[in-house]
Amino acid sequence: MSLSRTQTWLLFAALVIIVLLVNLPIISTVLNSLRSTEDLFSSRSFSLNDLSFDNYFYVSQRTKFWQFFGNSLLVSVSAAILGVILSSLAGYALSRYQGLIISSYSRILLMIQMFPLILAIIPLFILFRNLSLINNPLSVILIYTVANLPFATWMFKSFFDGIPRELEEAAAVDGCTPLQGFVRIVLPLAGPGTIAVAIFAFLLAFNEFFIANVFLRNEVNMTLPVGIQIFTQQYGSDWGSLMAAATMTMLPTFFLFLFIQKYMLYGAIGTGVKG
Amino acid sequence: MPSSSLTKLKEPRKHYKLNLLPYLLLLPSIALIFAIIFYPFFTGILYSLREGSLLKLGDYIGLDNYLNLFKQREFHNSLQFSLFFAFFGVLGSYLLGLIFALMLNQKVPGQAILRVSLLLPWVIPSVVSLMSWRWLIADEKGFVNMLITWLGFKPIYFLSTPGLAIFSVIVVKIWRSFPFMMLSILAALQTIDRTLYEAAEIDGANRWQLFRHITFPQLLNISGVLWILMTIWSVNDFDTPFLLTQGGPSFATENLVLLAYRYTFRNNNVGMGSAVAVVSLIILIILALFILRQQSREEK
Repeated sequence: MSLSRTQTWLLFAALVIIVLLVNLPIISTVLNSLRSTEDLFSSRSFSLNDLSFDNYFYVSQRTKFWQFFGNSLLVSVSAAILGVILSSLAGYALSRYQGLIISSYSRILLMIQMFPLILAIIPLFILFRNLSLINNPLSVILIYTVANLPFATWMFKSFFDGIPRELEEAAAVDGCTPLQGFVRIVLPLAGPGTIAVAIFAFLLAFNEFFIANVFLRNEVNMTLPVGIQIFTQQYGSDWGSLMAAATMTMLPTFFLFLFIQKYMLYGAIGTGVKG
Repeated sequence: MPSSSLTKLKEPRKHYKLNLLPYLLLLPSIALIFAIIFYPFFTGILYSLREGSLLKLGDYIGLDNYLNLFKQREFHNSLQFSLFFAFFGVLGSYLLGLIFALMLNQKVPGQAILRVSLLLPWVIPSVVSLMSWRWLIADEKGFVNMLITWLGFKPIYFLSTPGLAIFSVIVVKIWRSFPFMMLSILAALQTIDRTLYEAAEIDGANRWQLFRHITFPQLLNISGVLWILMTIWSVNDFDTPFLLTQGGPSFATENLVLLAYRYTFRNNNVGMGSAVAVVSLIILIILALFILRQQSREEK
């Protein structure tokens, strides 16, 4: 049932208000990052002249923000690359073959999605300590890779499902082995999808706090979310600087998200909702 | 052929005869899953039957950790809070997600931008969004309390009164979860056959009847899956309570994950921490069985 003109504009107005209210925490963080902490807590009225980037300079120069940022990049890029390699192979198996092992693997992915990580974290902490992997980025890279497997594999499976099998058969006739057929024919065709999966995997690792908080306790290796959490303890009352650091942390996430948002449905629906 | 009973090609082809490729493709993932999930999973269950610290594990003591755990009041509180948190978090985020999805499913100007903006709470890093929330609802100088005092009322201590802290953690959880619900419901809405509505309109159905008799029944399946999935994720949630209240005040917002974390990494008691984790696993298995049954029913 379509809406009348007035109804459409009322709905639009309602949605705009909802968007502003829902994003109030985010908007206020960005705005406050441009004000000094004294201004934030003074009752005098707000004027545009008070806005400045001082907090950003402070965070950039006086804190280890960029070091944490570098650590985060290392961890997230590695987890994304590893995740894409493993899940494209598995996604191809899921797309082209069937049988007991394939369907069991599908079930395992569904289980991982719901697995209480805390149960694995305790033994992993002891295992990684024995292997001297605590405060080593490899520890979280491996865990993030596994955490990314379910949705990444399902996304790859659905991309590959859309690529006709005849192409590989033609390649086989020309003498390609099945693996060559996959690497040379199917994978390049899934190109944009591969980038989307890589970005999703990157974002999960870039945003993650809990696991990084357990395994990376040293400032040399800390990722941004853990570093920011340490900031809030150290600079507890310096809200201006905290908000600047928070804004700088969410900017990469925000832009990458805009880039992949049209794939979001795969991410959401692929995630076991459609199995 | 021995292998064909295990891996059948969807359409058998000559050149694929004895085929190891599917196993080879899965092998790297399975190896990693084994190391990161399976091995710790079984070791974790064994740890719950032992005493000892992170540095040195002790003897097996049977079910003593569990018996001890069931005597702790903080365990019962945390179990209760976990379920309470999950139930209201899922209920709230589902309702918000459903309402927003229905609104966005209409032809509105700027629909794409509105949709994307409503996904932000789900996308931005938890550390950032919870810092923003803490600033908004902080006790003395929080934005909301400045507003309240400016209007002439007494400030509300959102994070230092147990009841209000529970309420705040749930509100923030709903805020962080509704976008996922909205996106999934929106996707389901778009698969509903338009002709159903047209036929019903010809029969003179009003808007409520359309929702009640067409939209809602079509959403039931996905809603069930979403409820269970989100309940599981809520029971597993560490970030929301930890980053907003650290489980306080006086452990009022400490869920099972936070309790397991505190026992293990603060009190250095691996056995008790693992026992709490196993209890949450059992709760999740019950929920997972639900979702698997639902799925196999759909496949038939």
